[in-house]
Parts: sequence; structure tokens; C-alpha cells
Amino acid sequence: MKKGLLALLLAIAAVIVAWGTKTYNGLVKEEENVATAWAQVENVYQRRADLIPNLVATVKGYAEHESGTFESVTEARAKATSVTVDPSLLTPESIAEFQKAQGELSTALGRLMAIQENYPDLKASENFRELQAQLEGTENRISTERMKFNEASKAYNVKVRRFPGNIIAGIFNFSTKGYFQAAEGASAAPKVEF
Amino acid sequence: MGLRFPALLLSVAVALSDVSAGIPAPPDPPRLVNDFAGIFDSYQNAKLEEMLVAFDDSTSNQITVVTVNDLEGYGASEYATMIGLSWGVGSEKSDNGIVVLVKPKNAGGPGETAIQVGYGLEGAIPDAYAKRIIENVMIPCFREGDYFQGVYEACEQLKALASGEISEPRDDGGEEAAAFILMAFIIFLIIIVIIAGRHRKGGSGPGGRTGSFRNIYFPGPGPGHGGSWGGGGSGGFGGFGGGSFGGGGASGKW
Repeated sequence: MKKGLLALLLAIAAVIVAWGTKTYNGLVKEEENVATAWAQVENVYQRRADLIPNLVATVKGYAEHESGTFESVTEARAKATSVTVDPSLLTPESIAEFQKAQGELSTALGRLMAIQENYPDLKASENFRELQAQLEGTENRISTERMKFNEASKAYNVKVRRFPGNIIAGIFNFSTKGYFQAAEGASAAPKVEF
Repeated sequence: MGLRFPALLLSVAVALSDVSAGIPAPPDPPRLVNDFAGIFDSYQNAKLEEMLVAFDDSTSNQITVVTVNDLEGYGASEYATMIGLSWGVGSEKSDNGIVVLVKPKNAGGPGETAIQVGYGLEGAIPDAYAKRIIENVMIPCFREGDYFQGVYEACEQLKALASGEISEPRDDGGEEAAAFILMAFIIFLIIIVIIAGRHRKGGSGPGGRTGSFRNIYFPGPGPGHGGSWGGGGSGGFGGFGGGSFGGGGASGKW
């Protein structure tokens, strides 16, 4: 009798441990996916930042009087590249801060690109058009990677929050991750029309 | 590149179903030319499909042409990227898909077009190249109303760019099969030579036996002959491979 009960308890414990391990590993995998998606997001923002010096130099060649705009772009770029987020701490606040800095750069860039309307030579320049195509492609990459990040974050958050996985998440301190908000930042910045 | 895991792509692909509302479902049976807007006639449709299927077979790069009358509020690039992601254009291994999207000029607004390039082809087709194809090839034709010519020429140029980067024939056809047949033939010749040599040494009566060897090894142009290496070549499009897109490419309006 007692032996049977012991065996039963042991079996239950084994099942719980097996379930816990599986859930924990699942959470680790999802968290890794989120970090990977975040790395891609930072990559594409960096790609944009890398384009800016060239772009500013090109525009300067045709429109030297717009120094105020150049300064604000350079400043916003410096600020945006200084804000990075540790992939293990992707809290809503840290993402919002990142998004705000990048959003300011988007606004400044929008103003820089708008200059071309007053300088037909700049608008027609082969070099400028090439950079414009690259910038446009980079903005598309940014919105794509942001979307993918949000999806990865959502998949992870569902696992963290949903019962009974939330028990394991609570024990091992898996906290929910933030999202990019569509309402502010880059996507709401003045759209650069080409 | 090394940063992306299949698991991530899978979870994204699954989750995408909510995001990609308004994006047409993948064609069933799979096709590379999906003229939802009806801007090609049946001959043009078949000609494009044939070209793109042949390109998929010979290099594994998948170019899909999609035309729609309404972008459902998305930008052209965004729409094309969503199609690429939700249909999985290109192979999962190489992410070598291209989506050519055309929204003809109609009552709903200006004409819009986009070329979106999978991760694996971003090096072969930089954004500026895609932009050039749109501005120099597609839009001039589209302005004249010649959608087919613009798309066809654009695909020709994309093919030339893409095949420089990734060119591996499908497993079920092309060079690999040819190499296999060549090897089999060489081995077969060696066997024949060995057997023939033995026969000469043995000096046994050649008459009936040689005849029977001939019957076995030279079956002639029977039906069993062609089947072994015909597969895959002209059998139509085999389906999308789960490739992913990162938003690279370009778009244009007219």
C-alpha cells in the first residue's frame, strides 16, 4: 500500500519535472528568438545610420546653405546610435526609448530629404538618387524587421503569460518583452516620398 | 545571416497570419505568375510562367509575379514583402525569392510597382539596382500600358542578376541528373569492357551469348529509357520553398 503510493508520487514528480523542463526550454528558445529578432532590428537601424554620412555629404555638395538641417541630422544620428538595448532587457520602456531616438532621426532625415525639392540639380544627381533608393530600401527593412520582432515578442509573451507555463516563467523570472508601437517613432514620422 | 534561426522564421511565418490580413492566400496549385488584376492575356501568362519555372528549375531562384488591383492600404514594398513572407517565396535554405508586384493605374489611384528581394539575393540585387529596373524598364513600359513587356524585361534582368549569386539546379533535374547518368554510363562501359575481355579470353562460343548481352544492356529507345531523367524539367512549378524576406528592394509609382 505504502509502496504503491510512493511509486505514484514519484511518477507524478517525474511528470512534473519533465513538463517543467520542456516548458523552461521552450521559454529559453522563444526568448532566444526574440533576441535574434532584436539583433536584426538593430542591424537595419545601423544600416540606416551608416548611410547618413554619405547622404549628408552628397546633399551638402548641392545645398550648402542648409547647414541647420545637416546639424540636426548629424546630432539625431549620434543620439540614435548611442541608444542600444541589451537583448536580455527588452522591456517596453527600453524599446520605447530606442524607438523615440530613432524616430527623431527619422524626422530629421525627412527634413534632409525634403531639401531636394528646392535643388533640382541635387534631385537629378545620379549619386543622390542611388542613396535615395538605398534609404528607401533601408526604411522598408526597418519596418519588416520591426514587424518580425513584434511577432517574435508576441509569441514569447503568450508563452510567458499563458497558464500553466506562467508558473515556470514566474519561478525562473522570465518577464514579458516590449513591442514597437506603430503610433509613434519611425513609422509615424513624415513619410519620405520619392 | 547567421543570426536567423529557422525556428524564428517558423514562428514569424505562423504569426504572420494575423499581420498579413488582406494579402491573397498562396495560389493552389502553386503558380509563379499570379495575375489577380487580369492585366496579362493567357498567352502572356503562359509565357511568363514558362520563363520563371525554367529559371526556378535551373537555378532554384524563385521569381513570382503578382498583380493586384488594390494594395489594401499597404505601400507597394510592404505588400510585396508580405506576399514574399506569407507565401514563402524562395528556398528556406537560401532565401532566394523575388516578388515582382504590379498594381496597375486604375480608378483606385496611381500605378505602383515593387521588386522585393529575399535575404539571400540582397547582395546580388542591391536596392539601387532594383530601383533602376523599375525606373528604366518597368515604368516606361507601364506608362505605355504594356504591362507584359515591362514585367518580362524586368524578369530577364532580375534573372541575370540573381543567377550570378545563387545557381544550383533543383535536385530532381538538371546537371545533377546529367552527372549521374554520365557516371552510370561510364561504369556500364567498364563492366561491358570487363565482360567482353573475359569472353575473348574464355574463347567460348560468342554467337548466342553476345546477343543476349546486347538485349540486356542495349534496350533501345523503349519507354523505360526516357523516364529516368525526364523528371522535374517541364512538369510545371513545384511550389514555394519557405524563403524569407527582410524588406530589401525598391518600389516606384507612375
